[in-house]
Amino acid sequence: MGKPKALVDKGKCLACGGCISVCPQDAITMCSSKAIVSKENCIDCGICIHACPVGAISNEVY
Amino acid sequence: MKYDVVVVGSGPAGSVTARFAAESGANVLIIERRQEVGVPVLCGEGVSKGVDEFKVLEGKRWLANNMDGARIISPDGTMVKLAADMAGDETGYVLYRDIFDQELARGAIRAGAELMLNTCAVNILKENGKINGVKAKQFGEEFDIEADIVVGADGVESKIGRWAGMKTTLKPYDLETCAQYTLSNVEFDRAYCDFYLGKKIAPGGYAWIFPKGKDIANVGIGILASLSEPGMSLKLLDKFINSRPELKKGEPLRFLAGAVPVAEPIESVRDNLLLVGDAARQVDPITGGGLMASIEAGKTAGETIGKAIDEQRFDKEMLLPYEEKLKNTLYKKLKRNYVVKEIILGMEDKTLNMLADSLKDYKFDELSTLSLVKALVLKHPSLLIKLKPLLKLSRL
Repeated sequence: MGKPKALVDKGKCLACGGCISVCPQDAITMCSSKAIVSKENCIDCGICIHACPVGAISNEVY
Repeated sequence: MKYDVVVVGSGPAGSVTARFAAESGANVLIIERRQEVGVPVLCGEGVSKGVDEFKVLEGKRWLANNMDGARIISPDGTMVKLAADMAGDETGYVLYRDIFDQELARGAIRAGAELMLNTCAVNILKENGKINGVKAKQFGEEFDIEADIVVGADGVESKIGRWAGMKTTLKPYDLETCAQYTLSNVEFDRAYCDFYLGKKIAPGGYAWIFPKGKDIANVGIGILASLSEPGMSLKLLDKFINSRPELKKGEPLRFLAGAVPVAEPIESVRDNLLLVGDAARQVDPITGGGLMASIEAGKTAGETIGKAIDEQRFDKEMLLPYEEKLKNTLYKKLKRNYVVKEIILGMEDKTLNMLADSLKDYKFDELSTLSLVKALVLKHPSLLIKLKPLLKLSRL
């Protein structure tokens, strides 16, 4: 079983950029007005998950 | 592709920087990730009327509503009114922020700047360790934009600074995570911006009602990311609206999320690089307002860039007067308000109620955070101990 990583629900993301500003790993980028998490760089610290105002980020086990 | 200056981001900070740099003779390109300047709006759309003094806006197309004052409502409902002396004496505006941003961008373009939409920066360019532009992407295609000076006006994300090795990552206790509806079918007989405080309403932040007209208002909430649970802003916003009959009947025309840095300003200058606006954390940490700061900083940045282009010197020393000037003006206020923010965050709801009660009949001589703090100290000399670092800063 893989490690959990943050995953953005593209249907919910409103591109505020808050997750990007608090990510200690620079693992999130904005692409076509949606945040995208790089699985390689994510350390599953959960900071972005808590910072998302609309609950668009969860952690998934890959 | 080669310019004197490439500005990443066409928000107020980027456009005003571009305008003043172009007016001083620089060859400027603004790149914007979105397909329309100012859209989607990510803002409560309130601003002080002091914005007029910068003379960067033409006409009034950006103006939605004139405000007579602000009201702070404590957790138990006690109201502190900060109003203009005379009725009709405007103290602030509610904006159409999309038009506002487009007007500022138009000002930059009139001054000679170019603007490229649908174009995001994917990295900074370096040659022999020296920053010399940005790598950009448009419609899936990457290309280089060379420039002597790169301006990071890329908002809360502040990636340009991060790529240049600056510490732009925010701590969760320095970020407000926000949600807002623009509600129609609501009624307002007054022109006040209302701020609601309380741990149950908005932990580490506030809820707001900014009327955009007689039957329309921005109703939003900001909570401190360190106190937030996933999706909490939206949940508490819905709760706030549903608990108020005058808002409950409202129908949303627009929904948006937002992220506001409430940090102290950070290092903003390197060789060939300068950060401005939210990217440099130039935001009032108490209110979360960043428009005035962005315009003031953008003007200073643009003028400094103009001199650098004249002298064809782009090193840190040449660009540093930008930051030095702000340290003597804007940053004093922002640092002072950061101290106040920390004091307010440490207060229990009952303390906020007590303070609000003591100020409910107070006549404020001006509408500002400083006048509020002065009034508090006058009523509660014991607060002086907590506010000592603050007063020290004010004297600087």
